[in-house]
Amino acid sequence: MESKNVNSLDNAFASKFAKSMFLAVLGLIILTFIGTRMFTHVDLNLYGYMVGTIVFLGGFFYRFIAWGERPPTKIIIKKGIKLLFRKSTPKTSVEHLATYRFIWNRGIYRWTQHFLIGWGCLLSCMVTFPLVFSWMYFTMTENGYYTIVLFGMNIMTVPAEGLIAQLSYNALNISALMVITGVCMALYRRLKNMQARADQKFMYDFLPLIMLIFISVTGLALTFSNVFLHGWGHYAMSLIHQYSVIVTLIYLPFGKLAHIPFRPLSVFAKNYREHYGEQSMKACKVCGTEFVSTEQSNDVIQVLGVNEIEFKKEQFHLAELCLPCRRKYRIAQFSGFPTHEVKVKEANQNAKG
Amino acid sequence: MKKRLYIELENCIGCRSCLAACTQCGGHEERNRNYVYDVNPLVNRQTMPLMCLHCVNPACARSCPAQAIQIHETGAVLSALVEKCIGCQNCTIACPYGIPKFDTEQNLMYKCDLCIDRTKDGIPPMCASVCPTNTLQWLTEVEIEAKQKQFNLDNGKWVTSMPYLENETNVKVNLPGILQGVTKLF
Ligand code: HEM
Ligand code: SF4
Ligand code: SF4
Ligand code: SF4
Repeated sequence: MESKNVNSLDNAFASKFAKSMFLAVLGLIILTFIGTRMFTHVDLNLYGYMVGTIVFLGGFFYRFIAWGERPPTKIIIKKGIKLLFRKSTPKTSVEHLATYRFIWNRGIYRWTQHFLIGWGCLLSCMVTFPLVFSWMYFTMTENGYYTIVLFGMNIMTVPAEGLIAQLSYNALNISALMVITGVCMALYRRLKNMQARADQKFMYDFLPLIMLIFISVTGLALTFSNVFLHGWGHYAMSLIHQYSVIVTLIYLPFGKLAHIPFRPLSVFAKNYREHYGEQSMKACKVCGTEFVSTEQSNDVIQVLGVNEIEFKKEQFHLAELCLPCRRKYRIAQFSGFPTHEVKVKEANQNAKG
Repeated sequence: MKKRLYIELENCIGCRSCLAACTQCGGHEERNRNYVYDVNPLVNRQTMPLMCLHCVNPACARSCPAQAIQIHETGAVLSALVEKCIGCQNCTIACPYGIPKFDTEQNLMYKCDLCIDRTKDGIPPMCASVCPTNTLQWLTEVEIEAKQKQFNLDNGKWVTSMPYLENETNVKVNLPGILQGVTKLF
């Protein structure tokens, strides 16, 4: 047994959950303290979001700590962090997390829909959260000019009618339109496309879409009420909007949207495969083809062991055979004839649909 | 009445109708998830199908760091959830039969989902509906039990999932004819 490295910080808390929660809330308070120039610029209209964010953090840590304890997840997180500084990390991250190149390969329609939803949401968060915690705000020191203040520093002064100012005021309208377009595309696909319809569920697939569209529409309605109705209904609408965002935040760690905080793991997975693949490859115990890194092969065998699954045969563990040999070995178990020992490539396995 | 996929391996004539049919089920994106192998390719034409056996304790799902492989209430082990699969390929290494397929371009694993679009409503899976030789059948527990009785060998020669292979599986596999010299009429 390895001796556990006992950390005094860990001892101070009842659980990982308590520690993460404490550190996150502390971090938020410190950032807000700095951002608001010692709490002198707090916008209390946005109070609901603050409470929402804290409840969200509770759900988030609860869900993700439980998930991180699963043996395969633990391995990929641990080794992923170790390999974070590979040369290819920036390129992989951009392709996996920003441009979604792999979704493009699933279909241009699916890519467009996700690009609009994903970036629409990110854009709104990048504007909303700094405002909520008062990390960013606008002041008018000189008539006709706004100063953008980020974390207490004056970033720039722009004309109130200029392009940058217009883009800033309208950032949330633009992002709302992006999300609405993307969600409508997703809804259309879920209603019409037989491939998408096959195994969708209301709670899992439709609910997040409905919540996103509800947020975007109520958000746009705020602008509409300001511009066209001279603020009529603005207060009620802002409450509805605020509640819908809070409910979505609380739901986020549990349903389909849980993929957002956790997709960065795809970068870990790519690094893990690349790095250990360069180190040493596992040769199939039957045909000798190198089919996976030695590290991953061992990790999988170990994870299966933890789950009380052992596929040990006389000469090998089944995970040590390349996939075609493993399939042929199975046929051999069915028929009694050692198909995997016949040196013939598998034929005709892909039908054209 | 709950039905299961039941495979009588030696009936297979290698027509590969099941591969073609598999591409056509909803959610399959026109890619098949099953296999047909020549048993002794240099000597004779005997073939056998190989598909996911829907393990009760599935190695693929247990090894998935992203919890992308869900188990349906019917026991079917589903294909990877498209937004969850992170492309690590653990599942392909873990499956004792080499079933899950991986698409590198899409960074996505896909596998047999027992045609969940159909079987959740009691409709037989695509492969079983088209198989011309009754290799792939869709049977009730009672019918499967009858098969098991009919072909009860009791000679230690069971190599298939009756009773079990590596694992308890939801799909039942049988090889009655070859082992018993039974002539079948259909
Ligand atoms: C961190 C970056 C993100 C990655 C890598 C990612 C990845 C994915 C993937 C692979 C899918 C499946 C798409 C398909 O195959 O059709 C998906 C679906 C989805 N994503 Fe993301 N996502 C990210 C961020 C976001 C964000 C910020 C949102 C906004 C709330 C979002 C909302 C959605 C929704 C609503 C769906 C389901 C669409 C449908 O109904 O088909 N994602 N995501
Ligand atoms: S046969 Fe393989 S793919 Fe199918 S459930 Fe079992 S482990 Fe998973
Ligand atoms: S390839 Fe996808 S489905 Fe398979 S184990 Fe990795 S994350 Fe899970
Ligand atoms: S049950 Fe459906 S998904 Fe599975 S092999 Fe048969 S046709 Fe393909």
